[in-house]
Amino acid sequence: MKKTLAIAKWEFLEKVRSKAFIISLVVMPVLMVGFAILPGILASKPDNRVYTIGVIDETRELVGPLAKKLDEKYHVENDLPNYIIQNLWMGGDLNTVRHDAVQMVAEGKIDGFLYIPAEVMIKGTVEYRAENVSNFRIIERFSRTIEETITEKKLIAKGVDPSLVGSLRSRIEVRSLKVSGSGEEKESGFLQTFFGAYIFIMMLLFMVLSSGQLLIRSVVEEKTNRVMEVLLSSCSASDLMVGKILGLSGLGLFQIGIWTLIGIALSLQLGTNIIAVEYLWLMMIYFVLGYLLYAAIFVGAGSPVTTEQEAQQITTYVSMTLVFPFVLAVSAMQNPDSLLIKVLSFIPLMTPSFMLLRISVQLPPLWEIVGSLVLLAVSVVAVMWGAGRIFRVAILAYGKRPTFPEIFRMLRTP
Amino acid sequence: MLTVSNLRKEFDTIVAVDGVSLKVNRGEVFGLLGPNGAGKTTTIRTVLNIIKPDAGTIMFDGHPFNTETWNLIGYLPEERGLYRKSKVLNTIVYFATLKGVDPKEARRIAHYWLERFGVVDRAQAKVDELSKGNQQKIQLIICLLHRPQLLVLDEPFSGFDPVNQILLKDILLDIRKQNTAIIFSTHQMEQVEKMCDNICLIDTGRPVLSGSLRHIKQQYGKNSIHIDFEGDGSFLKSLPMVKKANVYQNFCELELHDIRQSGELLAKMNGHLLIRRYEIVEPSLNSIFLDMVGHQSQLASAK
Repeated sequence: MKKTLAIAKWEFLEKVRSKAFIISLVVMPVLMVGFAILPGILASKPDNRVYTIGVIDETRELVGPLAKKLDEKYHVENDLPNYIIQNLWMGGDLNTVRHDAVQMVAEGKIDGFLYIPAEVMIKGTVEYRAENVSNFRIIERFSRTIEETITEKKLIAKGVDPSLVGSLRSRIEVRSLKVSGSGEEKESGFLQTFFGAYIFIMMLLFMVLSSGQLLIRSVVEEKTNRVMEVLLSSCSASDLMVGKILGLSGLGLFQIGIWTLIGIALSLQLGTNIIAVEYLWLMMIYFVLGYLLYAAIFVGAGSPVTTEQEAQQITTYVSMTLVFPFVLAVSAMQNPDSLLIKVLSFIPLMTPSFMLLRISVQLPPLWEIVGSLVLLAVSVVAVMWGAGRIFRVAILAYGKRPTFPEIFRMLRTP
Repeated sequence: MLTVSNLRKEFDTIVAVDGVSLKVNRGEVFGLLGPNGAGKTTTIRTVLNIIKPDAGTIMFDGHPFNTETWNLIGYLPEERGLYRKSKVLNTIVYFATLKGVDPKEARRIAHYWLERFGVVDRAQAKVDELSKGNQQKIQLIICLLHRPQLLVLDEPFSGFDPVNQILLKDILLDIRKQNTAIIFSTHQMEQVEKMCDNICLIDTGRPVLSGSLRHIKQQYGKNSIHIDFEGDGSFLKSLPMVKKANVYQNFCELELHDIRQSGELLAKMNGHLLIRRYEIVEPSLNSIFLDMVGHQSQLASAK
């Protein structure tokens, strides 16, 4: 036990001190924020800037109602209007005004300008010019509001009661409410649910890959430099294996821990709730068991390896099975009760990923949870046992990689 | 200290070790000899519990291997290597803690050894910044630091320059005085002759010769003649009274059919060679080795 801990400590400290680790500690959060969190934040964040938009209205009758509607509908913090409309054409030469407007955009006096031609009622086209024309939100809001204004104008022109027109365009907004086990209703967005599970699976994937790879690397290194023999004249193979798994898992957890802190700090700063996780404890069980299963697979598959290239191959194969659930993630989210998802949830290699996804959407039936957990736990024990046997023999095999019959023999030798 | 009896180990179809028995006492240097692939390393690995024997018993002070035994043994494998990216002192301390030494204590003793080996200034360097010889010193420190009672050294001198060889020899003799049993596996017969008390010679997994070095040499009798000479000595091989010959450029070791013919031999050489030394001695371990392993004829014909 003491030796196991000494090995764990060594594996942990030597890797923590390495340059590669320190770099990954900094680089990964940047990538994670880029890939996972940022779109979520952007999607859920209200637009907090006040835009000044110029309007050149040839019809002379749309600019007023448009400004009024935008003022009613869109606000930013402190009740400030989201868009300030500036009427640029009060008469005069249209071309000069348009030329001046372009100048104003270039000088930054306005964010953009809208040109509503006289025949807008018939043709239905307006122009929006700005330095940044890919701002979908502005374009979408303006086109919708102009459409409304024109529709109202047309209806009123046909003699429809203006108050009736107002009620015609009542907007429908869907608020999603999640019903939890106790019958309580909670508000939660699809994004939040998705990210809850997503982050968990990402962490699992990351931990398995990083510590799995380190594990294989360290075995390959010790085989190449023959430190293995000195180690094995100091402790048992199982001390070595358990020590390595512990040390490198600790490393993975340490890394994830630091990133989680960064994540929490970031989300507090931005005032967003990124993760809405219920049944955290249940997810943790799947997480830990899943991790152990993959760690054992890495030990079994990695210990016969003799070169870095082979180690890379093994890592790729193992990670495939982990990435696979990502492909089906969306469908699992939409329909967690489909037969395919249920069946896949019972394949131990995929149980953790799918169950993490399913739990965050809707708690699966009890029998499925118990069943998949038992199956997973049994496979962890079985694979650990087999990996230990392979490890014991394979770590002394130099030169050539053992063949499958040889590995089979390793499993049988007591 | 160590008693091995009837050790047997098979790998798939090959019998690597068959019927090897050893007895190594405290305060003794034991030479485990044999040609390449004879089964020396397998024997050592089995003794150190790195691999399990198929048959035979291995006893340490009368007890089979247990978890305590790990802390009593020290091993320097033939293939050298360390964690390249780690610092020297950290590496030494790590291996010492695996042998049950308290880290603080390990640091202190490590300092002593680093000083004794003359590498104390490299304590904070990374291993791969060290020269090969210095790396070997670090490995020796690693297998010495926990004061093992059984020290197994596989070719400890190879890779050292003559100065360091003497340094190591002195250190090993010191350790031996502290009642440590040392097993010494090597091809360098001169080293064995200088250092070992008892030897065991293994060939193709079987012990072919074992016992005390002195006894073995006596057994072979004084029928060897060492000659230092100048001139072309190649004709010595074909003389009728010569049974076996190892002829080098300026030296030869001859075995006669009958040692009483030595005067006759001397007469034959007269006028052909300038003789600087002529001595009737016990055979060198080298010639016993060649004799036993049966490669002498091949080696001789290759010369």
